[in-house]
Amino acid sequence: MDADLEALDALTEGNLQQIIESWECFCTGTDSFLSGDLSVAADSDEYAASVRALSHYGLTRLVGDHFLQALEESFRKNAVSKFWKSFNPSSDKTAASTVSSFSNVISLMSQEGSEEMLTASLEEICMEKVYQEKLLSILLNSLLSEGDVASELEDYISTLLPRHQLMVSSVLHSTLPQPFLGILRLYFRKILEELSSMITGECEDGYEASVDSGVGFTCKSDMASRAGAMEIEEVYDQSVTLKNNELIKNIGKLVRDLRSLGFTSVTEDAYASAIFSLLKIKVQYLAGDDYRSPVLESIKEWIQAVPLQFLNALLGYLGDSAGHEDSNSGLKSPLASLPTCYPGIDMPSEELVRWQLRLEYFAYESLQDLRIAKLFEIIVDYPDSSPAIEDLKQCLDCTGQHSKLVDSFISSLRFRLLTAGASTNDILHQYVSTIKALRIIDPTGVFLEAVGEPIREYLRRRKDTIKCIVTMLTDGSGGSATGAGNTGDSLLEELNRNAENQESADYDDDLVTDDKQAWINAMRWEPDPVEADPARGSRNRRKIDILGMMVSIIGSKDQLVNEHRIMLADKLLNKSDYDIDSEIRTLELLKIHFGESSMQRCEIMLNDLIDSKRTNSNIKVSAAKATQIDAKQDEGDMSLEVFDATIISSNFWPPIQAESINVPVAVEELLSDYARRFHEVKAPRKLLWRKNLGVVKLELQFEDRALQFTVSPVQATIILKFQEQASWTSKNLAAAVGTPVDILNRRISFWVSKGILVESPGSDSDDHIYTVVDEMSETNRNGLAKGTLEDLSANDEEGEGSLASVEEQLRKEMTIYEKFIVGMLTNFGSMALDRIHNTLKMFCIAEPTYDKSVQQLQSFLEGLIAEEKLEMRDGMYVLKR
Amino acid sequence: MAATPELFLLITCVNSRWHAVASWTWDAQDETCGICRMAFDGCCPDCKYPGDDCPLIWGACNHSFHLHCILKWVNSQTQPHCPMCRREWQFKA
Ligand SMILES: [Zn+2]
Ligand SMILES: [Zn+2]
Ligand SMILES: [Zn+2]
Repeated sequence: MDADLEALDALTEGNLQQIIESWECFCTGTDSFLSGDLSVAADSDEYAASVRALSHYGLTRLVGDHFLQALEESFRKNAVSKFWKSFNPSSDKTAASTVSSFSNVISLMSQEGSEEMLTASLEEICMEKVYQEKLLSILLNSLLSEGDVASELEDYISTLLPRHQLMVSSVLHSTLPQPFLGILRLYFRKILEELSSMITGECEDGYEASVDSGVGFTCKSDMASRAGAMEIEEVYDQSVTLKNNELIKNIGKLVRDLRSLGFTSVTEDAYASAIFSLLKIKVQYLAGDDYRSPVLESIKEWIQAVPLQFLNALLGYLGDSAGHEDSNSGLKSPLASLPTCYPGIDMPSEELVRWQLRLEYFAYESLQDLRIAKLFEIIVDYPDSSPAIEDLKQCLDCTGQHSKLVDSFISSLRFRLLTAGASTNDILHQYVSTIKALRIIDPTGVFLEAVGEPIREYLRRRKDTIKCIVTMLTDGSGGSATGAGNTGDSLLEELNRNAENQESADYDDDLVTDDKQAWINAMRWEPDPVEADPARGSRNRRKIDILGMMVSIIGSKDQLVNEHRIMLADKLLNKSDYDIDSEIRTLELLKIHFGESSMQRCEIMLNDLIDSKRTNSNIKVSAAKATQIDAKQDEGDMSLEVFDATIISSNFWPPIQAESINVPVAVEELLSDYARRFHEVKAPRKLLWRKNLGVVKLELQFEDRALQFTVSPVQATIILKFQEQASWTSKNLAAAVGTPVDILNRRISFWVSKGILVESPGSDSDDHIYTVVDEMSETNRNGLAKGTLEDLSANDEEGEGSLASVEEQLRKEMTIYEKFIVGMLTNFGSMALDRIHNTLKMFCIAEPTYDKSVQQLQSFLEGLIAEEKLEMRDGMYVLKR
Repeated sequence: MAATPELFLLITCVNSRWHAVASWTWDAQDETCGICRMAFDGCCPDCKYPGDDCPLIWGACNHSFHLHCILKWVNSQTQPHCPMCRREWQFKA
């Protein structure tokens, strides 16, 4: 402005006159230019002269600014309002309400030819812009033809074109109607869908369709060579020609127009969001609710086939995919490490690589979210669902959002599994599946730890947990209550088999081993955690994992081993044959995992069975010889032929509850005969009968049928008493059987429930009368009919086993500490559980060392409360006075 | 007791098979072996299985030990005597 003012001071009258005339000429010229009359400029130099004159007087800036302003006014008045009108048909006002805008968009886009309309309007407004640029260049030429132009003016002049560009874009932005972005987005979406169905649909429908559709594809592949129509390469072969596609050309032109109007980022947003929303739909579609096939690869393939091809073609058309020419400089780290190739794209631009990373990340995240939301079902379905798990692993490896998985899965566990209605077996099965599945996702076990803790905590509160775990580990048949696990195979067996398989073949996936697979395997490899025992291979660690996590529910290996011993004892004592093959197998497996010395006692128990079988047959042989010699067997007596015995080394068996009974005389005779013969064979060893233990098979004859029962000796003795007498009072029967009345009443209920005996009140209120059921009476016949199938087993009485339960055993072991605990409480008044536990640990270091868990201590203290020795006040234990 | 004939219906057992359980014992006077301090009905520290594999043996003095324990003891001495009563050790006939 300074220059202008100085020039103004030096003006003469004549100068002034010339300035005014030139200005008028300039203004009229400009107006007529803008009204479309280019003749002014073309024909006469008058316009140029006036511009030069004004410039000469230092009014260059005035001229330039005025000209730009005129362009803006004209642009607003003529082009803009017309342009927007076509996108806002319902209302002429640019600020259309948001509510209606969406439906406008839909209605606009659903109209036939809406794309043409968009293209045409864009073309029109671009032409207007180009026209204005042409005018501007005429002005610029005039200004610059002055001769030597001061450098600062030159700078000013050079800003005019950019200022015009800015003006155009800011005018358009400031008047942008709401629906426009939506229209753009839908436009791209429509084009992409078209492309997608063109590319992916092609390989399904065959080539004929694509050739006929007139999209301008040149089909390179030989028609004969495409027997396998799904070959991805072929799709890519065709996609190469996408650049020449009409569709791409149209989009390219549109994008270029939009860019020239200053809508570069708006446009990119529009096609980006179209691509992402289409990708999301594709992911949802491909993922579905099918967890049994992998989808990640096909998602990635689709990304390669559709959006990346589209982007490549588009960027290529726009000519700004730098990578095509200056290749190596643009190729930095992220791509160099990626093994993916871009089929049909020789050298991807950096821009394209960025796009690929964005799209893949988005796909990973979308798939991951879908799978996490369904993780519970997926794990229920494991191992059939392992493809979904593998996918999820890859997704999480990329996004690192494992914590999302943990949070979501824990809440679905709490909601669906850790409820009173779920059986302990079901919870354990899901726990094992969870371990197996998450171990794939997270080999370090960090997240598994977090997910497993609520399950473990819940299971610790259930009483039957240890029993269920042992059953699950060792028993293949009866383990799964719901039949969820594969029957006939214990968990130990499975763990062992897996370990063996892994030694021969590293991965038992059914994927073909090609280079890609090798690469995936390489990516899967994880170093052993630092804390892992180097002596154990990583494979061994895998195997230990599940077992370790099972043990961690219980608290210690010893408790599990102990529970197994108790259950094994129960099983062995209820065997009527000596068949222990599966028990031996289980023992061998347990030895592998828990060490030989832990299993020593179980080994002796099994050995007892083997010895018993041998001794039993020896005794029978000697008995048979004896009868041949004597030949004086009383008929009606039972012979040793129908008698077997299991002889145990009681020091190595769990404590056994002794229940004395008076077995039938015939049996009693057999027992002493057998014992005598044992003593003969094994002198100086002797037998002590555990009369309440064992198994008796009975066949009872009724009027029209015989029924077989497998029962305990007590139950057998009871029912055989009814051979002598049809009716017994409970007191008399108890005396005859040699058992307390309450036990008798409990045991006899089996026969009542089977409809063999009937109970009626006796003379005394606590005496009952048991009578053999009269088969002829209708009511009882029904009762009997229900349970008459061949073998009615009595072994499933509710936990009334002859072996001391774990709790009872624990109680025995804990009783030693009772006086310590009482002493502590006398001194300290009241103590919390933890403090009692720690104090015991500190002081009971001599034999017997205190080695119990807090849970065990707690259940013992609960027992003391029940016995009214202690009481609980505000969470503290105190002595009861 | 006056009763109708049906009340005298008895159980008839036509077949039975009895599988009994017993525990064995060496029937020694003491609970534990005076040499290894392990239970007689268990086994000596060198053995895995009790019973036939690790028998008891009686001396002339009527003291009993695990066979393996007393053999070790006897072999370690020039003039073997019973660890319990110090009398000269002789196996009971
Ligand atoms: Zn000994
Ligand atoms: Zn021995
Ligand atoms: Zn002696």
